[in-house]
Amino acid sequence: MARPRTLPQREAVDSPARAGRRGWLVTLRRTIRLYWILRLAAWRSALQYRLNILFMVAAGVAYQGVGFVFVWVLLHSFPTLAGWGLREVLFLYGLRLVAHALWLVCCDGFQLIDRAVREGEFERMLLRPVNPLIQLATYERQLDPFGDLLTGLTMFGIALGITDIDWTLWKAVYCVLAVIGGALIEASFHVGVGSLAFRLQNLRSVQLFIDDSMSILGSYPHGIFSPRFQWFLTFTMPIAFIAYLPASVLLERTDGLVVPGWLGYASPLVGVLVFMLAYRVWSWQMRHYQGVGH
Amino acid sequence: MSLIEVRELTKEYVRPKRVTGPFGAIRTFFSREYDRTLAVAGVSFSVAAGEIVGYLGPNGAGKSTTIKLLTGVLRPTSGTVTIVGPEGPMVPWRDRERNARHIGVVFGQRSQLWWDLPLEESFQLIKALYDIPSARYARTLGRLRELLGLDEFINTPVRHLSLGQRMRGDLAAALLHEPPLLYLDEPTVGLDVLAKETVRSFVEETNRTSGTTILLTTHDLADVERLCRRIILIDHGRVLYDGSTHGLIARYAPYRDVVVRLDPDQPEPSQGPQWRVGQFIAERDLDGAWRFSIPRDLPIHTLLTGISVEWRVHDLTVEQPDLEAVIKRLYGERRAL
Repeated sequence: MARPRTLPQREAVDSPARAGRRGWLVTLRRTIRLYWILRLAAWRSALQYRLNILFMVAAGVAYQGVGFVFVWVLLHSFPTLAGWGLREVLFLYGLRLVAHALWLVCCDGFQLIDRAVREGEFERMLLRPVNPLIQLATYERQLDPFGDLLTGLTMFGIALGITDIDWTLWKAVYCVLAVIGGALIEASFHVGVGSLAFRLQNLRSVQLFIDDSMSILGSYPHGIFSPRFQWFLTFTMPIAFIAYLPASVLLERTDGLVVPGWLGYASPLVGVLVFMLAYRVWSWQMRHYQGVGH
Repeated sequence: MSLIEVRELTKEYVRPKRVTGPFGAIRTFFSREYDRTLAVAGVSFSVAAGEIVGYLGPNGAGKSTTIKLLTGVLRPTSGTVTIVGPEGPMVPWRDRERNARHIGVVFGQRSQLWWDLPLEESFQLIKALYDIPSARYARTLGRLRELLGLDEFINTPVRHLSLGQRMRGDLAAALLHEPPLLYLDEPTVGLDVLAKETVRSFVEETNRTSGTTILLTTHDLADVERLCRRIILIDHGRVLYDGSTHGLIARYAPYRDVVVRLDPDQPEPSQGPQWRVGQFIAERDLDGAWRFSIPRDLPIHTLLTGISVEWRVHDLTVEQPDLEAVIKRLYGERRAL
């Protein structure tokens, strides 16, 4: 028998333990790099099934397209919605859809957490030396989020053409950050709900409820709701920050808000904070993981 | 020096009691009643660097739970596990990611490869996940390709591989980062004779050349007889036996069987199912042979002399109890309890 190996001599490894005080930064960089490697691998997996690609994207377009028809019908029946015209509502609707598509394109695997836990795939993720959350995020191998993205970008593009926003560099930067913030808020809801998977078998109905809430309550001007409900949508279930507050800022409609207008500018920051909170809840719940079988 | 140190490890699964009837799922969620299952009940052992240990037990004995606790997938209810890593001692569930870098895990029942991608892409993803430097990756993969004969299917998507090929791929994937510690959970399940042999000789080779410490669970005792000098036998979450394979047989099967077939032209020595020769009693086998169980410390000579006074022996075999016979007996006693 060869000399037993207890202390393997290794070449330098990009490991957090060696990085000292800047460890968290090294970990973050490594996590982001691995996220992309896994994300691309999942897309390559989806591309293996060539015929499926078209169907998956088409399904995404069709699903979101129905929503668009609904807005169109709505605004042909009522000239305005809480004082917002067709163009403005389209802008808001498009902005929400782009944020929604962004979260899905990046992290749609979160939605499969109950299946991953139930069927034991989650165990495999815990055996890898990387955060299980990014492995989950890249677990789904479907392309329909690209259909959502296509529809979202088209609608937002049309809205950009017909609204007269006085674009400056700052507004453009804010708009991009707001979309990222919106995507983070949608992701947060799913991470938060996903942490229930360690206690519940099936989350499908809760996830559908969250998704429907965000698309119904997130895509229209909140002036149609009572002030109390608007407060609720801002501070308790912060759907207003996904697209409504950013759209109000960009369209200069902050006068109609029940909250101070500057709050709209904080949307990207709110996205980051809400996500951090959801991540804490997730990490805390993960301690309850019981595994499958025994 | 021990690499794995397990002390009083206990895992109790606490799951909400399933409520049946109307709104069962919702009532289950709010239920305050729990089902408690003690899967591992105070297990202690240590494994030295370079050992191959067979971790055995019937279905539901607590094997997989132990592996999950050792690999950091689950947290125990109480007790400790210490793995000696290059950067000091690790507690698997607390230092999960650090521990993961030093272990390789293969589940026979579940692949760790990327299902839709060619095998080689799985290897490249593992290279990234474990931060394996390119030069070392090329060297290790080259060796594994040769040892496991991966070349013929390395560009095939994993979903098209046969079970034997997939298992070879899984073994390579678990060893790419050259872990000093390897957990194999039923690595030969469902494989044909040749594929089993490939896996066994590869595991043996890995242990011999790299000094890799291996903890193996299996239901195929040929794996154990071939690979393990030491067995830990558990049942009901407790250690029943921890020691050498030979020791287990000596302790639980202190007999060997002498099977005697008499010349057919003589009358039957006994009309009943038993035949007494001096102090020895034989049972009749289905095919007409007589089976004596002789304690190990008695020489067979006494029996043979006793028989040959009156009878002509046509055929005689001595059956040493093998591991399978012992395990069968132990599991059988368990059912009888």
